[in-house]
Amino acid sequence: MTPSVREVLQGVAIALSTPPSADAGLAFDASRMGLAASLAMMAAAEAERAAAAAIAENADIRALFAEASAHDPAGELAAAARQADTDLDTPALDAANARLRRQLIALHERVEAANDAGFERKIVALYVRMAEGRRMALGLG
Amino acid sequence: MSAPVAAGLASYLGRAWGEPVVIEALSRISGGASRETYRFDALVGGARRPLILRRDPPGSLIETDRRSEFLALKSFHGRGVAAPEPLILEDEGAELERPFFIMARIESGAASSPFAPDPYAPHAAALGADFFGTLGRIAGADTATLPLAEVCEAPALDACWRRELDYWSGVIEADEQHPQPIVRAAIRWLRRHPPPPAAKLGVVHGDYRSGNFLHDAAGRMTAVLDWEMVHFGDPLEDLGWAMDPLWSHGETDRVAGLLPRAEAIAVWEAASGLNFDPAAFVWWELFASVKGQAIWTSAAKEYRDGGYREPILCFSGWYTARRHDEILAAKLSELAA
Repeated sequence: MTPSVREVLQGVAIALSTPPSADAGLAFDASRMGLAASLAMMAAAEAERAAAAAIAENADIRALFAEASAHDPAGELAAAARQADTDLDTPALDAANARLRRQLIALHERVEAANDAGFERKIVALYVRMAEGRRMALGLG
Repeated sequence: MSAPVAAGLASYLGRAWGEPVVIEALSRISGGASRETYRFDALVGGARRPLILRRDPPGSLIETDRRSEFLALKSFHGRGVAAPEPLILEDEGAELERPFFIMARIESGAASSPFAPDPYAPHAAALGADFFGTLGRIAGADTATLPLAEVCEAPALDACWRRELDYWSGVIEADEQHPQPIVRAAIRWLRRHPPPPAAKLGVVHGDYRSGNFLHDAAGRMTAVLDWEMVHFGDPLEDLGWAMDPLWSHGETDRVAGLLPRAEAIAVWEAASGLNFDPAAFVWWELFASVKGQAIWTSAAKEYRDGGYREPILCFSGWYTARRHDEILAAKLSELAA
């Protein structure tokens, strides 16, 4: 996902180590530090759950692919559905997620072209779960 | 003190006004990611002038035209919309090295965070009437008579939606770094279900929402801010953006944390002289969330490309992007039901 927890914390570190600007003034720098602090806390929450969220989302997408035989002429989705996440490092999970999401986009386009309203509702229900699974709370949440 | 902005302002304004200028109380204002905004006082001829500097940043969240923003202020200042008075536009940058403009500072009022819970109580209803009434007056303005007409293209009424959708979907196409199936599904829905032609060509502020105005904490707007995305188009575009759930402070019974939806629409209709078309608005509401996701997609790319230097870009590309995925998924779910 973008940005990654590592990238968020890189930004926090840069914000903390950047000298205040003479032009900006205390209020601006205080606000910037406050935002950086919030991002650090959000990153802490994300670090605890990002891998689990990615694994759950990937499994959910694969489960949908397993039901998509009517829209899987080349059998690519069935093949993807048989896979599982074995490398649990976040970059590997994100890379797998990116592949699955690209396949999901192509599947949805085929479903729309076929006017399969029933399967489209399944895809949209998956979108709702995906978005809920990645939900973030502000600040300390 | 090393203060190149203050020194540059003193030099520039001294030349512009033909007499010595002293800059005091310069400080940067938090918030905007598309312009650097500073407040300062200019002491000139024995008088103290409270001013705002809006300067292009080295890298910008949104590619915008400062001339359009300046002319938008010129179009509405003193004409029933609380637009600050625009004073000086400098396209080359001169002493400040990057293009900028200067406007009068409105001293009364403060902005509220768009993510604070219930920031307008107990005056939300009165402020909501002002907020949606002002938007209606912007929508109802005759575009042909405004200074903005110098720079804004006037699309055909049936082309407004396509121009906006092409632009913002292009932003996602160019800046996306992780595949986004939800917003892409929304874009395809919008292309398959185009709205009717705009009822009129109107001024679209482009970022009219909670958090982008000053208010006096007593139910009155004192300034409409951040006109950098202004253009001519379908007035429903602004209404959809203003009512997007992202800007509703977590509330479901009031839009923008201000008014119940039906009341907001009624106020807007009365002020604009336009009839609200619910069918067309379905399109513009979904489009608003697509546009938001495009802006956050750009923010994430800018954050990475810029070396992770701006926390506001990180926040926009992260938290707000995920919120808009939730909002888009919910809207798609309603449309698919």
